[in-house]
Amino acid sequence: MTAPASPHNRSIRLVLVDDHRMFRSGVKAELDESMVIVGEAADVDSAIVVVAQTRPDVVLLDVHLPGGNGNGGSDVITGSGGVTSESGEPVRFLALSVSDAAVDVIAVIRAGARGYVTKTINGPDLTDAIRRVADGDAVFSPRLAGFVLDAFGAAAGEVAVIDEELDRLSAREREVMRLIARGYQYKEVAKELFISIKTVETHVSSVLRKLQLSSRHELTAWAVGRHLL
Amino acid sequence: MPTPYELPPPAVGPGGQRPVRRMVRPVQGRHLAGVCAGLAEHLNLEVRHVRLAFILASLGGGAGVVAYLFLWALTPQALDTTPVTSADAVAASRPAHESVRNLMVGLGLLVVGGVLWAQQQGVNLRLGVTIPILAVAGGAVLAWSKLDDAERERWLVGDMGFEGRRAGLVRLGIGITFASVGLVVLATQGLGLAGLWSVGIAAVAVLAGAALIAAPWGVRLWNDLRVEQAQRIRETERADIAAHLHDSVLQTLALIQRKSGDPAEVVRLARSQERELRGWLYAGPVGSQASLASAVTEVAHEVEDLHGIPIELVVTGDRTLDAGGTALVRAMREALLNAVRHGAPPVSVYVEVGSERVEAFVRDHGPGFNLAEVAQDRLGVRESVLGRMSRHGGSAGVRRLENGTEVSLSLPVTVPDAVGASETLTRPDTEGTR
Repeated sequence: MTAPASPHNRSIRLVLVDDHRMFRSGVKAELDESMVIVGEAADVDSAIVVVAQTRPDVVLLDVHLPGGNGNGGSDVITGSGGVTSESGEPVRFLALSVSDAAVDVIAVIRAGARGYVTKTINGPDLTDAIRRVADGDAVFSPRLAGFVLDAFGAAAGEVAVIDEELDRLSAREREVMRLIARGYQYKEVAKELFISIKTVETHVSSVLRKLQLSSRHELTAWAVGRHLL
Repeated sequence: MPTPYELPPPAVGPGGQRPVRRMVRPVQGRHLAGVCAGLAEHLNLEVRHVRLAFILASLGGGAGVVAYLFLWALTPQALDTTPVTSADAVAASRPAHESVRNLMVGLGLLVVGGVLWAQQQGVNLRLGVTIPILAVAGGAVLAWSKLDDAERERWLVGDMGFEGRRAGLVRLGIGITFASVGLVVLATQGLGLAGLWSVGIAAVAVLAGAALIAAPWGVRLWNDLRVEQAQRIRETERADIAAHLHDSVLQTLALIQRKSGDPAEVVRLARSQERELRGWLYAGPVGSQASLASAVTEVAHEVEDLHGIPIELVVTGDRTLDAGGTALVRAMREALLNAVRHGAPPVSVYVEVGSERVEAFVRDHGPGFNLAEVAQDRLGVRESVLGRMSRHGGSAGVRRLENGTEVSLSLPVTVPDAVGASETLTRPDTEGTR
């Protein structure tokens, strides 16, 4: 896995939210010692309470959870709005799911999650993803990058003229997304495009922002068209 | 794989016990309400003959009309099974409605004319009785035809919308008013206007009281019906899911227990089961298999099953599978086989179906190889990947990355497939070697 972009000596305080106890213990066993698990929860309502009490840096959040308004992980994010970690940063959420259903992933991202990884991810990759999210960066799996390219029509060649346009990706963002979809790590993306890792992270964060704010109707209509709703 | 979306096959085979056939009124090919068409279908007669019989019976004392109305009220309308969008349905039913309206107006005029003529001839028609009875009948027809429409509308896809619902309610209201006025007039034979008032008020009071008493009961009945319906749907779904889990997941779990000594096999089983279950849960009805995306997915899964190495697959966009697409899929399969044999996991595939060209990238994390070093007589990469792509107007490249190898394939979308026809799906593929 990629070496961290900047030195990370500080430990990260983590809350695990997943309704499968076996999965929680599996994650605990896989993470390295720099991650301190300060709380666990198995449903939406207890997750909101735990997050407010422990004020973690990162919440590892299952997309499908019982309780709340029935929207799973999205409800936890909405319910924890405004909670800050002990260092004063907003609490960040990394969505974790077995489901590839685009509608679930996009819903939790649009609720405010900083990234999405599948549960089949290995320990070092997960550690790295948590670090990135803790630093305020975005984490995109190849599949999420594919979703984004599809949803913004970028695969069909639609490209924004100005970078600020919310409903399309800029040419550079599209390139970054394509490389991530091809299985490249951030470091490899940077090398391929002759830019710094930090710039790659900026592009990914900007795509995440567009994904969260865009009113592009394909983001919802697209899921319907693929029989995902 | 059985999916919950597939319709069960018809339960009745030839020689099996046939279910009782109910007469229904078809939506298509009808003139008025479909009674004649339905009856002809039910009795295996010619529609024309049935219609003629009804017309003759109507002329002889009106028995045909009564029979027609009776059958219409008691026969359910056929559920339209052909997928019709509501817009189509509206367009199709409009002319029918218009002709019915014209017919009704004409009939009314004829009846009025006939009555006036009979009066002049000195026949006592006892108008005091006939007119209220006609009003009651007319009101009932109006109200019932509303019921009919509501039923049809519910089975067609579309909502009626506010406009349609209001028109329906107005019709229902007019029908009820007609019927009750007719009844009141009938019941107040010989009383004056004042008597009519008091009787009318009494009737309204009784109706209101009855409605008040019956309302909670009716609401409960309605709710019960809906709950029961929902429960039945849920039970069917649960049975479907149970059947599917039994056929797939339980079998795989049993296999995994038997093969617990062989980790590679266990991983392979778990992976293919996961994929199958995922497809069942999220993919929905199996679409056309002739799409490029589904062909790519199929090939990736096949290679994954063959070698037990997980392949991360991302596909964006889709199009129908043509000869060029088939060539791309086969070249991709070759590249994938190389990646899982000689490279190291994770292996990832990204296929982008754009408007101008299709691009595919196969990436592994192995030591990599240099195309120039590959011997000329080795057919794997050179022939199956590079040659195949160039024959179909596309291109292919192999890149050696710092950490692994990436094979990229590119194919313009509008390619004249003169060469494409020579390569059929059944041709045995040369196994890739380097």
